[in-house]
Amino acid sequence: MVIRKTPQQIKEEILSVLNKGPLSVEQIRRKVESNWSTINTYLEELKKEGKIKEIFSADKAKIYQKLLGDTYFDIPITDEERKKFRTLFSLIMQEYKSKGIVPTKTYFAKCAVHVIKNEESGLSDLPIVWYIYGLIPQMIADPSQDYQKEWNLEHRIKIKNLIKEFMDINKNKSSGQIQREQHKEYGDELYILSDEFFEIVNRQRFENEEILESLNNFFIACPIDNEFSDIFNLTEKVLSLIRKLALLEVKLEDYRKEISTTFDSLWKFIALYKLYKSRTTGKNALNKETLLKFYIGNPLDSRKKTLQESLLELNSVYMSKLAEFDISKIKLSEEIKEIKSIMEDWTGED
Amino acid sequence: MVKNNFLDTNVIFNYSNYIQGGSKDIIKKCYLFIKDKQGKFILCGAVLEELSNIIVKRANIHKAVIRKIETEEFSFENLISKRDIPFAKKLYEKLRNQNIKKISIELAKERDLSEIAIQQFLKIQVDERALPLEQINNELVNKIHDIISNHADCKILASALQFQKDKDIFLFVTVDAKDLDPNGYDFLKEHFEINYSKEKYKFPELLNLMFVN
Repeated sequence: MVIRKTPQQIKEEILSVLNKGPLSVEQIRRKVESNWSTINTYLEELKKEGKIKEIFSADKAKIYQKLLGDTYFDIPITDEERKKFRTLFSLIMQEYKSKGIVPTKTYFAKCAVHVIKNEESGLSDLPIVWYIYGLIPQMIADPSQDYQKEWNLEHRIKIKNLIKEFMDINKNKSSGQIQREQHKEYGDELYILSDEFFEIVNRQRFENEEILESLNNFFIACPIDNEFSDIFNLTEKVLSLIRKLALLEVKLEDYRKEISTTFDSLWKFIALYKLYKSRTTGKNALNKETLLKFYIGNPLDSRKKTLQESLLELNSVYMSKLAEFDISKIKLSEEIKEIKSIMEDWTGED
Repeated sequence: MVKNNFLDTNVIFNYSNYIQGGSKDIIKKCYLFIKDKQGKFILCGAVLEELSNIIVKRANIHKAVIRKIETEEFSFENLISKRDIPFAKKLYEKLRNQNIKKISIELAKERDLSEIAIQQFLKIQVDERALPLEQINNELVNKIHDIISNHADCKILASALQFQKDKDIFLFVTVDAKDLDPNGYDFLKEHFEINYSKEKYKFPELLNLMFVN
């Protein structure tokens, strides 16, 4: 006897096959083993319910993506990873609640990373990524959610001890301080330098030299990646604009807002690239093309546009100072003269 | 009558690298040509595009030098083009024993001063902006490609030819010794006269600063 699947079962199966990434209608139809018309009907229903979205439509080839809502940029994680994350999050919330504290999002995420990074937790396979504020779990740690135990964690006691250890070490620290310390602990120089830059620019007073030194270190540490030439090229664009303002004898402190906003836009662009790198290297690396095409590509473009808009504002400050400046009064060091002499025959031609 | 000047990228780039009392002859010629301006300066979109590409490329060379000083195993081939490698190598040999932070500051200053000179020039000295990129006639670019291999050069020349069409003859000012020496330019004109006589292309007058005293 053939057992007919209920609509609910078919919808769950569709959602389940979309867990690993976007699929075309034909791919979904084959995996769910149903006919075209049935699949189309339920895909439409799931779309209306906000559980999936159509991300690419060409002639006869619709592609559907599951809307997870619980991971950064909806990047897929497996069911097992989701259950483990939720169970870990529930343990963290329990510990905080037992002390009568509701953790901030930063505490929550950093505590999860502290546990996952410790190999004895048995959770080191869970995906963690570098993003704007440092290392975070790929699944969004949201303190307002009611997480429940969904997985039997083998090293539950060790995990609880790690959570307690984190709470103990960090009990009197601000979110910002925890973030900065994490950047140092896990050793990403670019994050340390970005913290340093924001610290200087947010001071009541700062000298041009302090900003310039910080940006010089940032330039040295900036990654250069042939697949993502924009990362270095846009970094240089931002840094060079600030350096040139200083060369034109502008007091950078007077343009704190413009400088800070531009650097912030740059940082958000770089952070998304760091997230991409985190998920495309190491254990459980995702396919680069899929990640770019369906999850990161559009946000990257939109951040690039935001950065270019911020650059326009800072550039208008620079242009307003440019005409009146007498460049010949800048003294050239012997080193610069030597560099110029080496580059004299360089025309930049392809 | 003083003719107007349609400038090639290399003239502006050389001008931006001038050091008083310390530059080689051709850079000095470009500097003096711009400083002692006669006639209007005309600049096309293709030159602006090439200038911006050159600025990016130079920063990449400098970054590659810093990377090499940081990590000796780093290979220039991974980052910059074959044509740029000899310059990166020379910089590396010159700077390798110095403090990396200091080197980075000096290299940045070299880039920044040149960029300020270019941007000041664009803001103050340019009288007319001609042919934005989207108006370049690709068919014409292809025709020039038959004789000149460098694509950026073809776009700039095509812009000059399009702009020259209904104007008094202006100067096409360059320091290109490879494709645009006087003989090469004459050959290009001849090629157009023979193959595209119907279109009646009007060529600007060549002023190659390499070949004037």
